[in-house]
Amino acid sequence: MTLDVVFLFLQQGVASGLVIGSVYALLALAIVVIFKTSDVPNFSQGEMVMAAGYIALYLLVFRSMPLWIVMPATILAAYAGAALFRRLVLNQVARANGSPVNLVIATLGLSYVLRGFVRQTGFGDTPRSFPPVVEPQSIMIGQAAVTTLDLVILATAVVVMAAFFWMFKYTKIGRAMRAVGMNPKAAQLVGVDLTRIHMIVWGLSGGISAIAALLISPKVLMTADMGSIVTLGFAAAIVGGFTSLPGAVVGGFLIGIIENLVGLFISSRAIVLAPFVAIMLVLVIRPQGLFGGRVEIKKV
Amino acid sequence: MSDKTATVIPASDTERPRLAAPEKMPVTQIALLAFVAAALVVLPFVVTGYVLYIANLLLVFIVLCLGLHLVIGETGQFALAHAAFYGIGIYSSGLAGNAFGWPFPLSMLLAGVVAGAVGVVIGTVALRMRDIYLALATFAFGEAMQWVFLNWDQVTGGPNGLRISPARLGDLEILTDRQAYPVVVFVTLLMIALTIVISRSRVGRSFRAVRESDVAAMAMGIPVRRAKITAFGLSAFYAGVAGSMFATFSTYIHPDSLGFQTTILALTMVVVGGLGSITGAVGGAIVFGLISEFLRQTPSYQEIIYGLILIVFMMYAPRGLFAFIRDQMGRITRG
Amino acid sequence: MAEHLLEVVDLTVKFGGLTAVNKFNIAVKRGTIHALIGPNGAGKSTTFNCISRFYQPTTGRVLLDGVDVTRMPASAMAGLGVARTFQNLELFGELTVFENVMIGAHVHAGRSWVEVLSARPPGVVEHVEHLLERTSLTAYRNTVARNLDFGHQKLLELARALAIRPRLLLLDEPAAGLRNREIAALDALLTDLCRREGITILLVEHVMQLVMAISDRVTVLNFGTKISEGTPDDVRNDPSVIEAYLGQEMAHA
Repeated sequence: MTLDVVFLFLQQGVASGLVIGSVYALLALAIVVIFKTSDVPNFSQGEMVMAAGYIALYLLVFRSMPLWIVMPATILAAYAGAALFRRLVLNQVARANGSPVNLVIATLGLSYVLRGFVRQTGFGDTPRSFPPVVEPQSIMIGQAAVTTLDLVILATAVVVMAAFFWMFKYTKIGRAMRAVGMNPKAAQLVGVDLTRIHMIVWGLSGGISAIAALLISPKVLMTADMGSIVTLGFAAAIVGGFTSLPGAVVGGFLIGIIENLVGLFISSRAIVLAPFVAIMLVLVIRPQGLFGGRVEIKKV
Repeated sequence: MSDKTATVIPASDTERPRLAAPEKMPVTQIALLAFVAAALVVLPFVVTGYVLYIANLLLVFIVLCLGLHLVIGETGQFALAHAAFYGIGIYSSGLAGNAFGWPFPLSMLLAGVVAGAVGVVIGTVALRMRDIYLALATFAFGEAMQWVFLNWDQVTGGPNGLRISPARLGDLEILTDRQAYPVVVFVTLLMIALTIVISRSRVGRSFRAVRESDVAAMAMGIPVRRAKITAFGLSAFYAGVAGSMFATFSTYIHPDSLGFQTTILALTMVVVGGLGSITGAVGGAIVFGLISEFLRQTPSYQEIIYGLILIVFMMYAPRGLFAFIRDQMGRITRG
Repeated sequence: MAEHLLEVVDLTVKFGGLTAVNKFNIAVKRGTIHALIGPNGAGKSTTFNCISRFYQPTTGRVLLDGVDVTRMPASAMAGLGVARTFQNLELFGELTVFENVMIGAHVHAGRSWVEVLSARPPGVVEHVEHLLERTSLTAYRNTVARNLDFGHQKLLELARALAIRPRLLLLDEPAAGLRNREIAALDALLTDLCRREGITILLVEHVMQLVMAISDRVTVLNFGTKISEGTPDDVRNDPSVIEAYLGQEMAHA
């Protein structure tokens, strides 16, 4: 491999990595915001993405609705679905007081239900593709080839993330979320309605998942199993520390870039393996992730 | 302090999760065991070979669940890589049979030991982490192993899968599910007995001590890390044995069935049965295994109903099926 | 056999820039009850946790019967005959009273396969039953620990610690939260353990009623340094001790 090729691969890897990484970053954000506020790793995140993708597909292709209606409708549906799941199911699970893992099992239950439901409709039987939001045209950035669609994906993801961070930092609801993340009991004492915050957090997470679905669906083949893409979101969240929102974003871009570089420099077969190796390396070398806080010493 | 009239605060069941402490055998447990024993003996005389295949598969899952019970139920460590150890068990015993013609009891032992050894190595690294981090690290390991199964063509046949030659012992060859059944039952009972012995012994107590409070366990002289690694290694050993049991009656294995789904299936069985009790692990495997089997013809319904069962259980029977039945019976007898 | 069962030499503990304990020395004589007292935040618990090996001191040494144990893991202490209790109760909440104490007793059970895998190793069960009797917990033998009331939970921690058959018993605020009647009983039990069975006791305590009644020797810690040491009477009349406690009350007022 000559130096020229290495340089070309590097550019291409970083460019493609940033694009796909922005979607991973969104997914990681959706995972981390829930984990931060309620200590639940949401194992149905992938199926939330998948279901949102199919809602959009259904409205757009089978109901021939225009895109400007389909997009907000999908996001709203995902918001409502996720918030309702939190309110109607998880609240009861938390009240029922089993082991903490019960909440996780309940999210697994949701993932089965969603997958089964999509299969039942029959849309998931054959791989379908989602019409792209913009007509993809090739553009060269340096020596890296990207498409207009790629640029739209990256730009949208960055805007959504910026809006999310603004909301989290400056709005009243964002402050309440942070308070719940730090200390739920104390937050309740100062008048934060936990149930409401949990619903909003899940809703937001669902909404972000829907956006991720809209962005990624034109680039992948849609099946009922496409939710497995969230594994990369989990990888990104872990790399970023699992409780850090900025960490999730950086982790997303890193995983995207690593994945592309591994594909270009090593082998396309190894792409699938890359995130898991990244997870294990990070957890072994720096268990708190790149942005996670120090591990506390338990006071006895 | 010699005052024995001091009253105990009424038990408040709503405060914290409650895990059963396997100290004494309740009547329900004995009754269940008797029923299971009778069913096991009668089964091969009344059912078809296909039903026996399902029975064999259920028994394999019982052993897998017992392993999960040791590490999650008893020790409280959320390790999610059991499909990987199960796979290691299948391939090691399959290869021992295929390539070297080992008698199956020997390849079973090999499968358990290889899986257990890998478990100890992974556990040594992963068990420095807790909770979600441990779960994610072991999850990643499981996924990575599935990749290895899929890509290590020379050993596993890669995406083509691996044909497993019939298990043999001297001149005896196991060719049908009916022939395999007694072997599988015997090994399952052996593993259940082993679990009960471990659970009631000092080893089991040290596992539960670690689950309840690692600092107190340390103060009691329990090397916490070693206890966790022991539990993890043991549970990998169980998964390896489960894999080799599968290899005695199966002729083919494909990496697709060795992914996260399998780990989750076993975890679900343990949780639905009731986390922390052996009855829960065994009963959960049987009940949930049967449900999956009945729904097998309609995959989409299977997934929906499966998911709903999980959700409803977590909402209304959080301590598992058997605790739920006990509670309900208690409510009835109390009026 | 060293005269002092426990010696702490020049113990210093720093958390980041904060010095919690500074060049602290203490020597606990065999077969005595020794109390470690001081205002809140004086470094008592930190010292205590260094002795029981839960914290690693920045510098200094901990000697048990003349042997340096500063590098020992916490889990090795039970085997050396050092038992401890916890300030905020660390019971095995979901396990029965009996099982809680059994876990303590296992340290001294045999190492052979049969003994390791035995549900009721010979000798161990009798010892546990005896301890339950002694702490009036027999009636609650099969009660799940977290369902006990606070007083009995404290007793259970003590019973569990005694199951180790300790030479040195480290008690972190054993009287905190107990009613007067319960404190009196604890007083009797601890005195008995020390005088009759020769168990050396080091306790960290706030309840002066208990400290002054049973201690042979008292060490006072303030801001991580020893400010006084002697018999309960010596310490009670030491102006620097009065000042330390008074200062705290003023600050709280």
